[in-house]
Amino acid sequence: MNAFFCVRKLEPVGWIFAAMNFVFLGCAMALGIFLVVESVPILRSEGLSFWLGENWWVGESFGALPMICGSLIVTGLAIFFVLPVALSGALFTSEYLPPSFRRKVKGVMELLAGVPGIIYGLLGVSFLTLGVKDALNLLDGNTFFTAGLLLAIMILPTVLTLSEDALHSVSYEFREAAESLGLTKLQTALRVVLPQSLPGIVGAVLLGIGRAMGETIAVMLVVGSLDRVPGFNLFVSGQTIPSKLGREAAEALGSGLHWNALMGLGLTLFLVVAIITFSGHLFIKRCNQ
Amino acid sequence: MGRYVRVWAGLVFILAVSFPLVVVADTGSRIQIVGSTTVLPVASRSAQKFMESSSSRILVNAGGSGVGIHSVVGGRADIGMASREISLDESNRFEKSHLKIHPVGLDAVACVVSSEIYQAGVQQLTARQIAGIYLGEIRNWKEVGGPNKKIVVVDKERHRGTRHVFMEYVFGNASQRTPGTLLVTGSNNEEQAKIAQSDSAIGMLSFNWINEDVKAVSLLDHGKEIMPTWESVRQGSYPIVRKLNFITAGNPKGEVKAFIDFVKGPEGQKIVEESGYIPIENP
Repeated sequence: MNAFFCVRKLEPVGWIFAAMNFVFLGCAMALGIFLVVESVPILRSEGLSFWLGENWWVGESFGALPMICGSLIVTGLAIFFVLPVALSGALFTSEYLPPSFRRKVKGVMELLAGVPGIIYGLLGVSFLTLGVKDALNLLDGNTFFTAGLLLAIMILPTVLTLSEDALHSVSYEFREAAESLGLTKLQTALRVVLPQSLPGIVGAVLLGIGRAMGETIAVMLVVGSLDRVPGFNLFVSGQTIPSKLGREAAEALGSGLHWNALMGLGLTLFLVVAIITFSGHLFIKRCNQ
Repeated sequence: MGRYVRVWAGLVFILAVSFPLVVVADTGSRIQIVGSTTVLPVASRSAQKFMESSSSRILVNAGGSGVGIHSVVGGRADIGMASREISLDESNRFEKSHLKIHPVGLDAVACVVSSEIYQAGVQQLTARQIAGIYLGEIRNWKEVGGPNKKIVVVDKERHRGTRHVFMEYVFGNASQRTPGTLLVTGSNNEEQAKIAQSDSAIGMLSFNWINEDVKAVSLLDHGKEIMPTWESVRQGSYPIVRKLNFITAGNPKGEVKAFIDFVKGPEGQKIVEESGYIPIENP
């Protein structure tokens, strides 16, 4: 009832805002519906084996397990690499750097966060694959590990700058109170500021996961693009959902089941990201209680 | 600063990912050409030349032979480029589109290895050995007379023209499954880069992409060595030869026809030769 009153009392500008909100909601819904509708044929013909099958042979069977595993592995690696660096960096930038210097660091971070994936991809192909191959003495440098490392470098600016925002927005009263109780700067940062800003940091990491999961071209260039279910070896080539889409979408456009299968992959990615985001928010909720 | 980075990034993106040639004229019709990265140099150079005397606007984009054929069928391109014939499966599926093939040149595909392997002694292979490598039965170069190094087997995306003709020669089956594969690549440029970066790779490339980092091996056929040279292609002894094709849905009309005729004509065939292929008129 309350919400209804709010809407009724809206001024003209408010209606425009509301309309814009519906534009956004409409886009999200349309995307979801499109993906579901387009992947119905493949789900009907393959059933559960679309997600559990290991073989992707166009015209015969479509099994998405290699791509799903690959996406999870690569994203997991990226988060594993990025978390310590981003959190320490954010703490230092927020709590220790003088304001003028902090603004410069933030500027650079925000600039880096906008660099498109292809740049990272090309750098990855030219340097990172060779570096990983030589440093670890591998047969070839196009591996999950390389892709995870590249993604970590890619999402670091985003995660760092957003975590830093969260840390910095913790009210100064808390810091002053902690100081007056005799806590050192480090204790204040770790025990007062960090817990207070946890929801913001989780949000930053979720955005990072989202970008890492969806990154196409950078991963495609360094992951090896081989469809196989990975074992526990991270130093082999593989395939992720977006890289598979990037490789085959142009060929499959408007060609029946192959196209539906790729849309099914898209839907799968959509669902995985949704599940991760949902669990992240659930986590925040439990922290707040 | 930020805008500068993005402009630069945009340019790199265009160059690296789609490798398109966009030539703009003031008026006239628009011709979309999409497909094989092998045929692309011929098409883009011809387009440039053709537009000097025409008001048409021609856009050339990469994607691979399969993409070229599918785009023509789907009406997203006027001309598809394919470095292979239309497969049986495709001609059955796209019967309604009445696809017409217009050969514009000849090319050959080589089995290539990293230069380190070539120098270490692997300079000729039989089709059986290549098959063994791609099936995962041969995993070390020493089994085929090379150094004690594991083989990095580089394959191409399934729809690529180069893969079709190569697998047709090695296995007699264009869509052969290759469980020995370690890496899958797309365009000629990508495969060339991956093989050059590795020191123990094997792959397949059009003759034009062979260089000092990526060496072509001779093919051994019943004890006879066939050198991977244009010489043996001209003599007719080199086995992995293919036509470079333009593909249209139905008979081409108007400007599209004019462009295809231009490429088939003396000026176009000179461009084919300059691009490193053999003209279709005197193979």
